[in-house]
Amino acid sequence: MKLIGIAGTNAAHSFNRQLLTFMQRHFESQAEIELLSLDDVPLFNESNDQSDSPVIQRFNQKIEAADGVIIATPEHNHSIPSALKSILEWLSFKLHPLDGKPVMIVGAAYSVQGSSRAQLHLRQILDAPGVNAIVMPGSEFLLGRAQDAFDDQGNLKVSGTVDFLDSCFAKFQKFARIAAELNVPDAVSYQPGTYDVTAVGHNGELPMAVTLSKDRIEKIDIDTSTETEGIADVAFERIPKEIIDGQTLAVDAISGASITSNGVINGVAQAIKQAGANPDALKKQRTTAKTTEPAVHEITTDVAIVGAGGAGLTAAAKVLQAGKRALVLEKFPSVGGNTVRAGGPMNAADPDWQSQFDAIPGEKHTLQALASIDEATIDPEYLADFQQLKAEIKRYLEQTDGQTGYLFDSKLLHRIQTYLGGKRRDLKGHKIYGQYDLVKELTDNALDSVKWLESIGVQFDKSQVTMPVGAIWRRGHKPMGDLGFAYIKTLKKFVNDNGGTIMTETDVQQLTTSDGQITGVLANGPQGEEVVVHAKAVILASGGFAANTKMLQRYNTYWTAIDDDIKTTNSPAMTGDGIKLGTRVGADLVGMGFSQMMPVSDPETGELFSGLQVPPQNYVMVNQQGRRFVNEYGSRDELTQAAIDNGSLFYLIADDEIKKTAYNTTQEKIDQQVAAGTLFRADSLADLAKQIKMDPAALEQTIADYNRYVDAGDDPEFHKNAFDLKVQVAPFYATPRKPATHHTMGGLKIDTGARVLNAGGQTINGLYAAGEVAGGIHAGNRLGGNSLADIFTFGRIAAESALTDRVSED
Amino acid sequence: MKLVGLVGTNATHSTNRQLLQYMQRHFANQSTLTICEIADLPAFNEPADRTVPAAVQELSDKIEAADGVIFATPEYDHSIPAALKSAIEWLSYTTRPLINKPVLIVGASNGALGTSRAQAHLRQILEAPELKALIVPNVSFMLGHSLQAFDEQGALIDQAKVGELDNAFNAFVNFVTLADKLLPSSQFFNQTKQFSWKQITDGED
Repeated sequence: MKLIGIAGTNAAHSFNRQLLTFMQRHFESQAEIELLSLDDVPLFNESNDQSDSPVIQRFNQKIEAADGVIIATPEHNHSIPSALKSILEWLSFKLHPLDGKPVMIVGAAYSVQGSSRAQLHLRQILDAPGVNAIVMPGSEFLLGRAQDAFDDQGNLKVSGTVDFLDSCFAKFQKFARIAAELNVPDAVSYQPGTYDVTAVGHNGELPMAVTLSKDRIEKIDIDTSTETEGIADVAFERIPKEIIDGQTLAVDAISGASITSNGVINGVAQAIKQAGANPDALKKQRTTAKTTEPAVHEITTDVAIVGAGGAGLTAAAKVLQAGKRALVLEKFPSVGGNTVRAGGPMNAADPDWQSQFDAIPGEKHTLQALASIDEATIDPEYLADFQQLKAEIKRYLEQTDGQTGYLFDSKLLHRIQTYLGGKRRDLKGHKIYGQYDLVKELTDNALDSVKWLESIGVQFDKSQVTMPVGAIWRRGHKPMGDLGFAYIKTLKKFVNDNGGTIMTETDVQQLTTSDGQITGVLANGPQGEEVVVHAKAVILASGGFAANTKMLQRYNTYWTAIDDDIKTTNSPAMTGDGIKLGTRVGADLVGMGFSQMMPVSDPETGELFSGLQVPPQNYVMVNQQGRRFVNEYGSRDELTQAAIDNGSLFYLIADDEIKKTAYNTTQEKIDQQVAAGTLFRADSLADLAKQIKMDPAALEQTIADYNRYVDAGDDPEFHKNAFDLKVQVAPFYATPRKPATHHTMGGLKIDTGARVLNAGGQTINGLYAAGEVAGGIHAGNRLGGNSLADIFTFGRIAAESALTDRVSED
Repeated sequence: MKLVGLVGTNATHSTNRQLLQYMQRHFANQSTLTICEIADLPAFNEPADRTVPAAVQELSDKIEAADGVIFATPEYDHSIPAALKSAIEWLSYTTRPLINKPVLIVGASNGALGTSRAQAHLRQILEAPELKALIVPNVSFMLGHSLQAFDEQGALIDQAKVGELDNAFNAFVNFVTLADKLLPSSQFFNQTKQFSWKQITDGED
C-alpha cells in the first residue's frame, strides 16, 4: 500500500513530523509512506491561482497516485495550522485529488489535549464538498505531551501508545481498501430515448437533444442559433465528439469557449439524469490518457502565416490565388481571431454608392467644421490633401445648398478623418498621428478590398450605409449575415477549397532565420509535438495585445491608469504574440503606448454585442444619475474618458423603435437578457429608472430634453452631431455599459508593402506584418470600421509583397 | 466608538469586504469603523525568534487602539480561510492584542448558509488561551447568497437582513460598553502577553 504523509505545519521543528517519521519506519513492512513537506506551499489566495505551480502539482499528483493519506496535525488556537489549511484549500479549489481518498488523522501536541480540537476541525474540513475525502471514523490517535513522548532514536517510548497506533494503522489499511471500492464507477444504464434539455451558452440558452441507448450516449444535437457564430463553433463540434467517443463527461473545456463547452457538458449531464443514470459517474470517468508521443512534424510551404483572423486568411487567399502554397498557423482551436467579434461594417469611401443616400441632419455641419480647421494645425505631409479636401467640400456644399443633399464621401475625407482621428498626445506630451504613406495606402485601397472580398464571395448589404461606433462618418460596408463571421466563413472556405492548409491549436514559438533571412517558424502542435515550418516568407497576422493587461500596462503612455481587472472586448488570444516574435528578430516598434478602450462594453464580460447596441445617432447615453454626460457622437476616447469621469458604469437608453436599429440581436435574445437581468426593460421611463436605481424625474427630464433637441436638430447641451430617432415608444430599454480594452494601435513597424522594418529602417528579409500586429496607421486612436479596412487591405498587400519579394523569384 | 473591521480573506474581490464597507457607512453615526486587510501579511511560519513582521505590528496596533473588533469571515471548506487563520496565528504568537478585546463575528458567503460553520470554528479559535478574545455571546450575522445581496451602491438590498445587522451591531455596541466597565476588575486584566504553545498548561485551558 502506498500512502502519503503530511505533517500539518511549516515550523522548523515539529512533533507531528517526528510522529510521521516514526510511522514511516515502524510500518515499513506494511506500507510505503512518503512524506510531503508544507514548507514551500504558498498561502492560498483565490485571486492568484497557483494550482499549476510545481509545488501544488506535486501534492496533486502524489495524492492522486496514492492509496491513502495520513495527516498529522498540530493544534494552533484550537484549530489546525494555517499552513495545513492552506494546502487543503489549494487541493479543493481547481484540483481535487482528495476526492474519494481515504484519510487517517493523527496529531501530536504539547498539551494533554494532543490536538483533539484541531482533529475535530480537520474532520469537518475534509468533509467539505470541495475536499470530499473519506475520513476514517473513530480510532483517534492523539499524542499529548509530545515533548516527552519520543526517545533519542525518535521512537515512541510508551509501548501502550505504540500498540494503539498499530491497531489504528491496521484498521486504516483495511478502511482504505474498502473505501477504494466506493470509487469504482457503477455500470451505467440509461432509459433509452431522445431527451430535450437546455444548456447555458455564452449568449444564453442552448436547446439540445441528447439520444441515449441502453448503455451508450449515441447522439448530441445542439441548436446553436443563439450563439455568436465563429466563437464557439469548435465547442459544438468537438465537445459532443469527445463525449460520444469516450462515453464520458470528463472532457476538457475548450480555451476561449469555456462557457459554451461547459454548457454542452452540463446539458448532456441533465439528459443522463433524466434517463435515470448518475452523471457524476461519467464525470469521474477519464478516457484513456493521451499517449501520443511528442513528435516532430516538418512542413515546407511558400508563405507561412501566423494567425487565422481576417488578415491572415486574406493573405493566405491571396497567396493561393497566385498559385502558391499557403500555410496558416493558429494557436486557438477555432479560426477567426478578433474578426469574428467585429461588428461587421468596414470603412471604404465609395462615393458612387454613398451618394445614393440622403445626408442626415448634422452631417453637413460636420463637413463645415472640418473644412474650417486652421491649416496651421495640419501636419505638413497631410496639408496638400487637406486643401484639396476643402475644395471638394466647398463644391459639395454649394451644389447641395438649401437641400437635404446626398451623403458625401471621398478617399481624401476618409484619409483626413483617419489622420485627425488618430492624432493624440500622450501623458508625456508626445504627439502621434498616422504615418502618411500608410494611411494613404489604407484609404486608397480600402474600396479595392471590398471589391476583392466580393470577388471571393462575401456579399454586402448595399441597401444601407452604416456608421460603426467611433467611425465619425457613414462609410461602413456591412456584410450580409453574421457580422464579422461573414468574412471569416467565406475566407476559410476559400482557403480550404483552394488547397491552403490551416493548422489550429498550433502555437508559433519563434521565427527561424538564416543569414539575416526569415526561413520559417517553430511551433507547438496540439499534442505537444514540435512543428517545423520551412517557408520563403512569413506573414505575422496574429493581432494586437488588448487581452494582455500586463503588456498594456507596461507600454501604456496614454491612459492615466489601466485597471488590473479591466475587461476586454477581444478574443483571449490577443496577447501580443506576433509583436514578441518580431522584436526577437530585431523588428522595430511604433506607437506602443496607445491603446483604445471600447466605451460601450458589457460591464461583466467586456463583450460588445450584448444588450441593445444601436447606431450612435440613436444612442442616448445617461450616467447613473439618469443624466446625459457626453456627445454620444464623440470619439471613443471622449466617450471613455467621460464614462470614467462618471464612475465608469452608464446606460444606453432606447425605445421600441430604436431597438429595431440594434445590430446583431433578436427578440429572443433580448427577452433572455431581460430575464437574466443584463438588460432592463419597462413600460415607462419612470419604471425603467427605478429598475436601474436612478431618479425617475431625472431620467424623464433628460429624455424630454433629448427629444426636443432631436426635433430642433440641435443639442445645446453636448452638441451631438447627428440625431435620428426620439425616445418615445414603449417599452423602454436600458443597456448597462462600461469601458473595456478594445484595440492596440501600436505594433511592428512596417513600410507600405507591409514589410517589417528594423530599428535602422531596413526591411527584415522575408518578414511581413498585417493587421493589428502592425503599428503606425491608426496612431493614437483607430476609427471604428477602420480595422476591418486595415486587415483586408494590408493582408492583401503583405501577400503581394511576399510573393513579389520572395516567392516569384524562383 | 472606535472599531476595527478585519476582512477575513486575501481575495481581490470579497463580499465580506463589501459587508464591512456597508457597515462602515451604515453605522457611521454610532462608530468609526476602520477596515483592515490581511492580504499583505506574510504566511505564518512560527519563527523561532518571534520577530513581529511590520505589517502584523501595524494590524496589531490598530486592534490595540480599538474598542472592539469585527471579524468578517468567508467560509472555505467548512472553516475559516487559511489566510485569516494565518493572521490570527501571527497575533497569538507575537503581540496578542485580542486578549479581552470585544469581538463580533460576521460572515458572507455565496452559498445559502452564510458561513455558519466557519463562524463556529472562529468562535472556538478566538477562545483559545493564547487569544482570549471576548466574543459577544449569542450574537452573530450570517449573509447567504452574498453575490446578490448588495446593490450597485454597495447597500444591502434585503431590509430584513438590514434589521438583523442593526440588532447584531447594537448588541455589540452594548457589549463593548459593558465590557469596558467590567474589565478593570477582571482577573484577566493582567494577562501575560508572553506566549508559547510549549508553555500552555492544562490549567490555562
